[in-house]
Amino acid sequence: VAKLCVCDLLVAQCDVNCCCDPDCSADDFSLFTTCSVAVVTGDSRLCSQKAAIYSLDVKANPPERIFRLIDQVNPSVFCIHATNYKQALSFSSPEMPTSENFDQLLKRFGSAAFSAEPDSWNMNTDAPNPPDANETYRYEYGVPVQTVDALLRLPSPVVSSWCSDANPAGFLVNQATKCTRSVSLEKCDKIQALSMLFYINSSILAVNITVQSIVVQSPNGMRTLLNSSDVLRLPMILDELCINIVLGVSYHITYTDAGEIIEAAASFVLGAINKEALSIQQSFEISFTQVNTVPVPLSGNPGYVVGLPVRAGFLPQGYPFPGESLLAALTTNKYSQLTILQSTSNQDCLAVQGSRTPILFGYNMISGCKLRITAATKCQPLTQTLLDLLKGQSFPEYVASFGNSQAQDVLDWVPITHLHTSEQRIYNTFQSSCQIPVSLEIEVKWTKYGSLVNPQARIVNVTATITSSTLKELPSGRERIIPITSSVVFTDISSPAEPGYKAWPTINAKLPFDFFFPFV
Amino acid sequence: ETLNTSYQLSSVPLQIFFYVTGIYYVFYFSATLAMIVYKSQVFSYPDDFLAHDLALLFLMAILEALRLYLGVHGNLTEEEAPLGLSLVITVGSVILSVYFLVWQTYVLRADVIVNSLLLVLYGLEVLLKVTAIAAFVS
Repeated sequence: VAKLCVCDLLVAQCDVNCCCDPDCSADDFSLFTTCSVAVVTGDSRLCSQKAAIYSLDVKANPPERIFRLIDQVNPSVFCIHATNYKQALSFSSPEMPTSENFDQLLKRFGSAAFSAEPDSWNMNTDAPNPPDANETYRYEYGVPVQTVDALLRLPSPVVSSWCSDANPAGFLVNQATKCTRSVSLEKCDKIQALSMLFYINSSILAVNITVQSIVVQSPNGMRTLLNSSDVLRLPMILDELCINIVLGVSYHITYTDAGEIIEAAASFVLGAINKEALSIQQSFEISFTQVNTVPVPLSGNPGYVVGLPVRAGFLPQGYPFPGESLLAALTTNKYSQLTILQSTSNQDCLAVQGSRTPILFGYNMISGCKLRITAATKCQPLTQTLLDLLKGQSFPEYVASFGNSQAQDVLDWVPITHLHTSEQRIYNTFQSSCQIPVSLEIEVKWTKYGSLVNPQARIVNVTATITSSTLKELPSGRERIIPITSSVVFTDISSPAEPGYKAWPTINAKLPFDFFFPFV
Repeated sequence: ETLNTSYQLSSVPLQIFFYVTGIYYVFYFSATLAMIVYKSQVFSYPDDFLAHDLALLFLMAILEALRLYLGVHGNLTEEEAPLGLSLVITVGSVILSVYFLVWQTYVLRADVIVNSLLLVLYGLEVLLKVTAIAAFVS
């Protein structure tokens, strides 16, 4: 009873006027006006029970909180003297359904009404999940990640852009923040938030934070990855520069599907400041990965979300396989996606090779460039170059039909249909013409899937059409400019929604066949 | 004149005690029954436990009636056999009373009071019966 506190709502912070909050110090108590919770007792129907009484002594200067633990006696003659029924006075935690006890739970609770009685006469019922027996820590989404002394904090800007170190990281909440911290050369080794130790010092409850990689950023912005990342580099002053100060931290937490954190790694970006620097910008990031999975960013769950990239992949030997996903310390965007040529300010096709942009679901795009052809250009290499330009280096073969399609589910992936059309000119049929691809049009047909209230976008069909046109022979010295275009169109082919009514019951009234016996 | 204590072995205090116990038991039975009904409404009292406690209460009532009848019969006819049987049944009643005092599903303070009183009465009764049996046997 002394440890129960109903008004303690904020974690690791003092609640106002809450006299039983363990996070409050004596200074905080002196600022309270009253105690919102004066008495904490157990069940009031018991004959004698312990009660924790909290009160404020306003006559003392400064006001103090008084805490007394007394035995409260219930004067009624109908108070509970003893009880032999364990569940009588407390709410029992319900069993968690697992695959073993699901059938039994369904039998007990699956009907329209069920009674609360236990199955046997057994007076001391042992709960199937003994609470806190193994002290395994199970996290739920959003719960602050706990460390040995407090919570795992991710510095973030609050109100202004200055860093505040009080932002707790929530479980499964991927965050990325940037904030400004004031520094000075003289005190750079004394400011705790600039040293690596500050971020890996607190271990997340039995899991130590390991250093995954260290990248050193030089003053002109160039970054190099260090080979040995197990040595701790602390800030130190060297020739008017303070080196090894933390410019960015990226936490990677690995969790199991039971909600336990089993691994934590931090990647650092260290930099240097000179004596003119008054503030630096630090960036922080935290990401959660389930154990034994490769993190692939979902483009929707399950239906595609407008604006997220369309996921695509290849079929090596039998299964679609999303192309390599690089788990670098700094997240890069190399997941296999459907990409399209990106128009740049320099409109020459051959100069902008390699610049592609991912196709975002729901956004129709058109892009292009201009190709300069002289008499000397050969047909075959030009065709190949243009195909590479339009399709990119690794044009995928399959597109995920849902935003969260897994690589193992073969049926969730839609093959890309390729079509070739050519702008035929009637009088060129007999000439050995050089067909060069001039445009790529990708048409993505999608439909709304699921319930009427919350329809999910699902890709049904992807068609990539390459249009070729004939390249006429040029007289030498002349050059032509051919426009090359590529476009993506998203078409909604959803069929109108049908309400799902059940059929009206029909009355099947028939007389028995010998009803008119003996007349018939 | 004819009622001479030397000829009469029946114990008068025991007889008075039987009447007192009988009246007290009626009160005890109705009070315990009423409290069980109250407990089933106010607290969470699952059906198995409720049936259990009610069955024991009715069993106790039957035993009590039997016990009192045998005791009165034995005392008045000055035979030790019914009185002995009544004593044996008293032991059973004591056990049931202890159940209602300690092992019941919910033991209220009122339960404690009535059961302790009943146990005191039983104790005195046992003493009186033993002396009566001793008087009859000898």
